[in-house]
Amino acid sequence: MDLDLETKLAIYGHFAAVGSRPSVNDVAARVGAAASRVREAFRRLRELRVLVLEADGESIRMAPPFSGVPTQHRVTAGGVTYHANCAWDALGIPAALHRPATVHSRCAQTLEPLELAVSDRGPGPSDWLFHCVVPAAQWWVDIVFT
Amino acid sequence: MATGYPLRPLVRMDQLWELARKWYSTRLQPDSRRPQPAEMRQIFGGLGLTGDFWDPQSDAFGGTAGGPAAC
Repeated sequence: MDLDLETKLAIYGHFAAVGSRPSVNDVAARVGAAASRVREAFRRLRELRVLVLEADGESIRMAPPFSGVPTQHRVTAGGVTYHANCAWDALGIPAALHRPATVHSRCAQTLEPLELAVSDRGPGPSDWLFHCVVPAAQWWVDIVFT
Repeated sequence: MATGYPLRPLVRMDQLWELARKWYSTRLQPDSRRPQPAEMRQIFGGLGLTGDFWDPQSDAFGGTAGGPAAC
């Protein structure tokens, strides 16, 4: 297995286990490689749009569907709390984990708090709507805004 | 819907769950990879999400970000 794949799996494994982003040193310890090599792997994964990094070039802002920073989209599953990048990713977390979850968010129009139970078959019947503001072709112009 | 932004397509929760499942259900696995433009069109189209808004290579909204699309 090459280092980029090991790094990606270590990052996602860390998010799945504890709900927060791993540091370069966390991943280096997990894959048994020097931090400098893992830092380079982070940058290659950013080029492939697997990761979004902070301005420091190594802190993980996004490993979709997981957010590396707190957001308004909070997901609890198996006793772990996660943060998602958007409403789509909030459903992406239980889909990725293959685990029932509860999504805590808010209506972007009314700011009303929302809570949604998600089973392995998805959310129950709901009249809520997801409003995607940015066209697909422009998502990566500013993926954090998207 | 978000306040202060032009009204764009609205997605039902059942459609959003299918999007989430198709995008992310293998994300933690070694052989996972992000959908590429043709797959994106197939996924969106299968859910009835069609038109320029959902086309990852459309220039109808002023050009694209280039490179591999999708999150």
